[in-house]
Amino acid sequence: MRTLVSATLCLTLLSAPAFAADSIQVITDGNAAAGGATVEIAKMKFATPEVTVKAGEAVTWTNTEALPHNVHFKTGPGLTEEHEGPMLRSKQTYTVQFNEPGTYEYICTPHPFMKGKVVVE
Amino acid sequence: MTHAYRPGKASLRSGIALSAVLLALTAPTGALAQDTQTPTAQTQTPAETAPAPLAAGETHGTRAAAEAAAHLAAGGEDEPVVLQAPAPDARRVYVNDPAHFAAITQQYIVDGNTARVVGMVDAGFLPNPVVASDGSFFGHVSSVWSRIARGERTDYVEVFDPVTHEPTADIELPNTPRFLVGTYPWMSALTPNNKTLLFYQFSPTPAVGVVDLAGKRFDRMIEVPDCYHIFPSSDQTFYMHCRDGSLLKVTRGEGGEPQTQNTEVFHREDEYLINHPAYSPKNGRLVWPTYTGKIFQADLGGENATFREPIEAFTEEEKQAGWAPGGWQQVAYHRDSNRIFLLADQRPQWTHKTPSRFVLVIDAETGQRIARYDLGRNIDSIAVSQDAEPQLYALSTVERTLFIHDAATGEETSSVDQLGHGPQVITTADM
Repeated sequence: MRTLVSATLCLTLLSAPAFAADSIQVITDGNAAAGGATVEIAKMKFATPEVTVKAGEAVTWTNTEALPHNVHFKTGPGLTEEHEGPMLRSKQTYTVQFNEPGTYEYICTPHPFMKGKVVVE
Repeated sequence: MTHAYRPGKASLRSGIALSAVLLALTAPTGALAQDTQTPTAQTQTPAETAPAPLAAGETHGTRAAAEAAAHLAAGGEDEPVVLQAPAPDARRVYVNDPAHFAAITQQYIVDGNTARVVGMVDAGFLPNPVVASDGSFFGHVSSVWSRIARGERTDYVEVFDPVTHEPTADIELPNTPRFLVGTYPWMSALTPNNKTLLFYQFSPTPAVGVVDLAGKRFDRMIEVPDCYHIFPSSDQTFYMHCRDGSLLKVTRGEGGEPQTQNTEVFHREDEYLINHPAYSPKNGRLVWPTYTGKIFQADLGGENATFREPIEAFTEEEKQAGWAPGGWQQVAYHRDSNRIFLLADQRPQWTHKTPSRFVLVIDAETGQRIARYDLGRNIDSIAVSQDAEPQLYALSTVERTLFIHDAATGEETSSVDQLGHGPQVITTADM
């Protein structure tokens, strides 16, 4: 079942800094490369729904409202498995480093109408 | 005589059939030994004429007992058969019991003329019922799991014959796309020609699934913006209600890329439209109340949606006194008389899902209140039959009872009880 798989992935993400695919990896120790981009989450939207970074750079999402949101990458070029980030409460952040060029589309799991993409050059 | 019947679910769909089966099982073996010429079920054809109305003090049970006693006294023998329901008419009522999120659910098929359960069908988790506009079939979109509530999930569409209640189609939906939610009638819908079923997908992205009922196959998913509910306006177009407060018109086209077009925003962000609007596919009228009793109406039958001047169901004084709509299916629309029925009561704010004791009858054209019926009990859902002298159906989830009223006077005429665990949804056909 999708939800069980997702829950397992969630736990994996919280404890492991890297994905099996390694085209994207979660940064949990604050040591993201310089540059990159930030995305604020507010009013049920990713405030900058499209950001562009260079390969090796990271994107940091910050939830600025009380309603929990997350970042949930769909499968696509360079990403063979979905990756569902943990729910962020107010002021919590989530950082992902992108190692391979491509376009990475994502949604918020409980709010699928919230959509965004990261373009990696 | 014959005791031939098909053991299995079909025999268990009617209390009468079940009784007959039990009688057959307890019959003397000598009688069974005289059996059977045919291995298939012997069925009774639908009743040609409606049974006479019950006399004062008479119940369906006492009448059946008297008939059985007379049959026995006359030397008649029992011949157990699998019964069929009478041919459906405008007063065929489908009562769906989501059973408070149980993994297995049931739909009760009620003849509103006689206030009798004429059959039942089973379904899985939070099914979405549909009924063909000509009464020729009914069905649902449903979900089951390989180990009751866990394991491999299967989403499917099932179609049933309205007389035999036998399944006539079972169509699997790939990638478990159903939106699992408390049953909103317009999260699934049939096109006017009854050849296509549309259902809503919420996650991972908003989409509408297209099921070809005529060809008995899943067709495709149509990705849509963040819009909800499905109101078919023709065989190729349907409308949805979007987060931004507009309606979305989706034109499917034959195999091509769907075309979408938004209407103007027709309500403010702080006007909360309920999850159970009324919609008449026959004339395209959409009736959509808010939490405060403001009623938006749109006509979807033409080339484009046209919005009517909104109606206020309550005066400012009534609002101050706490009057507001509330319940599950809070609104019904009768097409011929152009009347709106609204379930309402005095209630604190944010108790909009609690039941109501009153039904307002409103002229959809002028917004004038025609009547207010005191139902005398807590009701969660209402619906009306679409015949010339409509019945008003009032369903109590807690009492698990469907109360049948005369829609013209509000007078209660009959009721059907023991409808599952938490019945919530009433479906009828505008035949």
